[in-house]
Amino acid sequence: MTSDLRSHTNEAGFYEIRMESIGGLGANLAGKMLAEAGVLQMGLNGSNFSSYGSEKKGTPVKTFIRFAAPETEIRSSSPIEEPHIVAVFHESLLRTQNCIAGLQPDGTLIVNTAKTPEDIRQITKMKSGTIVCIDALQISVEEKTRVNTAMLGAICHAISFLDENAVKKVISETFGKKYPALAEANLRTFDRGFREGRTVSYEPQHKEIHVPFAHPISTLGYETQPLGGAIINPGNSISRDLSASRSGFLPAFEKDACIHCAACDQVCPDMCFVWESRQDERGRAFQYLKGIDYQYCKGCLRCISACPTDALQALREIDGYADENRVKHSIGA
Amino acid sequence: MALQEEDVRTRNRSAQRRVDQTTDFRSGNEMAAKAAAQIDYHVMGYFPITPSTEIAEYLDEMKANGEHHIVMIPADGEHGSAGICYGAAAAGGRVFNATSAQGFLYMLEEMPVQSGTRFPMVLNLVTRAVSGPLDIRGDHSDLYYGLNIGWPILLAKDPQAVYDLNLIALRLAEHAEVRLPVIVASDGFFTSHQKRRVQYFTQNADVQAFVGDMPKPPIDALDLEHVVTIGPYMNDPDLINTRYMQSEAMYRAEAVFQTIASEFAQMSGRYYDVVNKYSMDDAEVVVVLLNSAADTAKDTVDHLRAKGIKAGVLTPVLLRPFPKRAIQEALKNAKIVLVGERADAYGGHGANITHEIKSALQEIHANATVLTRIYGLGGRDFYPDDADHFFELCLDALAGKAVRQFDYYGVNPGDPNLAPAERTQSLPKNQTTGFIEVAKDPASGQLKVKAPPLRALTAKANRMAPGHGACPGCGIFPGINTFLKGIEGDVVVLYQTGCAMVTTTGYPFSSHRVTYIHNLFQNGAATLSGIVEMFFERKRRGEIKVHDDVTFLMVTGDGGMDIGMGSAIGTALRDHKMIILEYDNEGYMNTGSQLSYSTPLGHMTSTSGVGKYEHGKTFQHKDTPQIMAATNIPYVFTGVETYPQDLIKKAAKAQWYATHEGMAYGKILISCPLNWKAADDAGHEIVGAAVNSCFFPLYEVEHGITTITYNPEDKNKRIPVSDWLATMGKTKHLLKPENHELLHQFEEEVERRWQRLKAKHENPYL
Repeated sequence: MTSDLRSHTNEAGFYEIRMESIGGLGANLAGKMLAEAGVLQMGLNGSNFSSYGSEKKGTPVKTFIRFAAPETEIRSSSPIEEPHIVAVFHESLLRTQNCIAGLQPDGTLIVNTAKTPEDIRQITKMKSGTIVCIDALQISVEEKTRVNTAMLGAICHAISFLDENAVKKVISETFGKKYPALAEANLRTFDRGFREGRTVSYEPQHKEIHVPFAHPISTLGYETQPLGGAIINPGNSISRDLSASRSGFLPAFEKDACIHCAACDQVCPDMCFVWESRQDERGRAFQYLKGIDYQYCKGCLRCISACPTDALQALREIDGYADENRVKHSIGA
Repeated sequence: MALQEEDVRTRNRSAQRRVDQTTDFRSGNEMAAKAAAQIDYHVMGYFPITPSTEIAEYLDEMKANGEHHIVMIPADGEHGSAGICYGAAAAGGRVFNATSAQGFLYMLEEMPVQSGTRFPMVLNLVTRAVSGPLDIRGDHSDLYYGLNIGWPILLAKDPQAVYDLNLIALRLAEHAEVRLPVIVASDGFFTSHQKRRVQYFTQNADVQAFVGDMPKPPIDALDLEHVVTIGPYMNDPDLINTRYMQSEAMYRAEAVFQTIASEFAQMSGRYYDVVNKYSMDDAEVVVVLLNSAADTAKDTVDHLRAKGIKAGVLTPVLLRPFPKRAIQEALKNAKIVLVGERADAYGGHGANITHEIKSALQEIHANATVLTRIYGLGGRDFYPDDADHFFELCLDALAGKAVRQFDYYGVNPGDPNLAPAERTQSLPKNQTTGFIEVAKDPASGQLKVKAPPLRALTAKANRMAPGHGACPGCGIFPGINTFLKGIEGDVVVLYQTGCAMVTTTGYPFSSHRVTYIHNLFQNGAATLSGIVEMFFERKRRGEIKVHDDVTFLMVTGDGGMDIGMGSAIGTALRDHKMIILEYDNEGYMNTGSQLSYSTPLGHMTSTSGVGKYEHGKTFQHKDTPQIMAATNIPYVFTGVETYPQDLIKKAAKAQWYATHEGMAYGKILISCPLNWKAADDAGHEIVGAAVNSCFFPLYEVEHGITTITYNPEDKNKRIPVSDWLATMGKTKHLLKPENHELLHQFEEEVERRWQRLKAKHENPYL
């Protein structure tokens, strides 16, 4: 097992995994379980951590795992730059994050998606390496679990030196302590993730990393930052795209059923509802709901609970729907 | 692995006293908590702050499972936590605490009191950048404030060292030659949150054997047979003698540390010298770094050594007392020394460690050139490339090239094309004014509010733009935005630290379309009162031309009203023309759902866990509106988004009072789906249920006269408290038979406060 690990490690003696996720999908826990399987069950050395900031549920987060031979000392605490495996827990992140940055030329990209590896190759423009597609969302809906253990299954399958029984033991222990029923469902989810991945490999044309990893650089620097870190163009958060925070559902708007009561607008935490002023037949100005700006919608569905009619309905999000049906805010900044 | 450590391991393989150890995979914070639990301290006084918060959380979880007996006291702020710890230490028991950044600075005035009066304890400082602007990630700017407070400081570079040094720290603190409180400092996030392979003593008894029974304190506030005066009034010529004793004790701590560390090595196989040397024997170019970054640089040393370059890394384990002799010995043959400092001493031509190393070298007339690079501020990662760069600078200097003696590393001038092209203009008056009317009825003196339906109010501009980073379904924004629908005209807002602040102003973005200022939550109310008084004074002097008065609004969480209660009460007593709006989500959600004083009895948070030995929060919720009403400000109210017209009218009244008379305060209950363990779309109904259960009555206190503005009993809407509790995962356990008594206590308190409120409603003199 250790010799198998050694044949895969980088110059520093590490085998490295990066998970790209959003808060709430359980990547942090998946990383912990994976690392514990290697370190506590298989006797490898390892480290595990996540990117931290003011992340809330729904915002992008990265989880890192390093494996090494038992006697190799782990010193670096910095994020993983050139991973062997990138596991994307949420497909929309492929649009908003540079997920494959630094991925080894013969590395593996694992994506939670219903798409095919060829589709993913086109989206990511990945030149070589292996792409694994796993419909973790579907599996988790069917098993009433979260996507993290399905992803764990697919990741475990992609790492030849990792013993799947070691991971399963950690899953049993992690969930079994409090909720034995949940442990069984998660083991089934793991097995399905392990088995149901669709894998296609593309031969490396050269040894170079296709999308180099770059250290993050601040947008504003010491010559351009206003004094004391003040923001002189506030309201500029309107340029942010929060759509990757949705984890599968969004509200669909049926205009004809709308009575323009504004109950949706009042309960929306993300100010997604766009209104216009129009005159009725007697020339009096009234507010009319024009639509939803999906760029900010995090899919909480509060608006649907508040809507007294059938004008808002929960929809399992399909590719392109939000872009096609988005009504843009017209406020400035 | 350093040669020295390896030697000791080999030496100790046959040692008699080696104890059983368990290999595990844990973070620095987990290991600090593990050590504390195994020591079984008497008392921990604490206040949550990222990234040290987890230590109290892990200890709470372990306590719920019966793994230790530490009395965990949730303070009202770090100043309070330090006070609790000081009192507990003076009272003769073992005391533990953990903090970071602002928390450390807030307790700073207490630190010299504790060391100066010589009461041992152990504080874990999980290092983080000092504000402002607020940054939660790791650097050493907080640690540097601790250099002059008279506490020995141990540096733990990884989770293993966090555990080991926590055991050593207590022995050091309590040693008769020392008797000083001790800090164990580890890097926020890099160490605190990174899981590594670690070992701990399997048996608590072995930990107990190592730390021993607590030595009898020479001064003990609870030695009831011998009375004592602790902390007299002492001027010259006496204080200098007290300080001299303290100084001597601090220097003695170095040898004492070495003795304890040797004994620890016998038991554990892990040895800690006062400095950690890596390839230092013949090193010509040396990089000095504190804590985790030093480990990263060791990999670079391996590469350089392979190329025949005599490179080394030096990192202190003991920072106070500064291990001068060991540093002199390690650097006596070095030619270039680069000190990487994760904090600056502004204007000092190099920060503290640079100067301490320079002065150590000057004493032995060493020839080394000492360079300084300020790096990694605000938690900027330290990659292997960065370590390479530091050594390249050393090699350049060695080759005689010009290298700046002092500089920042890792700064970025910025791309002019990305700089903001224009400044944001204020919202047009017609989008914020003309929607709400407030008039004083001349006959009754009552304020009458006319507010249109929600539909018409959609034409009123939101004071916030979309694009904030809060969780899906966050109740803060429906709460604040509904309130702001009732506020006309120009607004200046101050947000105290909390979720609403962090999610709306992540640099370089801001969601605020009105002028916004942040200050730390001990002090927001005072800060806004300063803005208010400056407004009126500049207006009086004709320096500001405004047609109408501006409305000044402070927004705070319930956490901010705990730590900032003193400031809020002071501001209320001065009765400035401003509004305080508290959004109460029943916990410190921004730091990961610790209990606040507003968390109700029995509710589960990450510091009021549920297990065999714990059943959620142990004391009743704070009645902040009643506290604020007791300051006799003109207007106090409560509200929820579920009753929008009620909330909008109260906002309009609050604005009237804050522009005509003085201060208004309001509390809105808002949902936190994540930490209430409820569905993302359930918040609107949950806070409505809180109102209808009479847990959170809607009322106002206007010039001291209480009016219930919505009475669920009159509307036949009243529900049992348990119906509201059933809507949230955090309260599910309260509905189980074994918690019947706890639920009953909570229901009784809700009923008592409701009946009292009704009595006040009936009687204008109550």
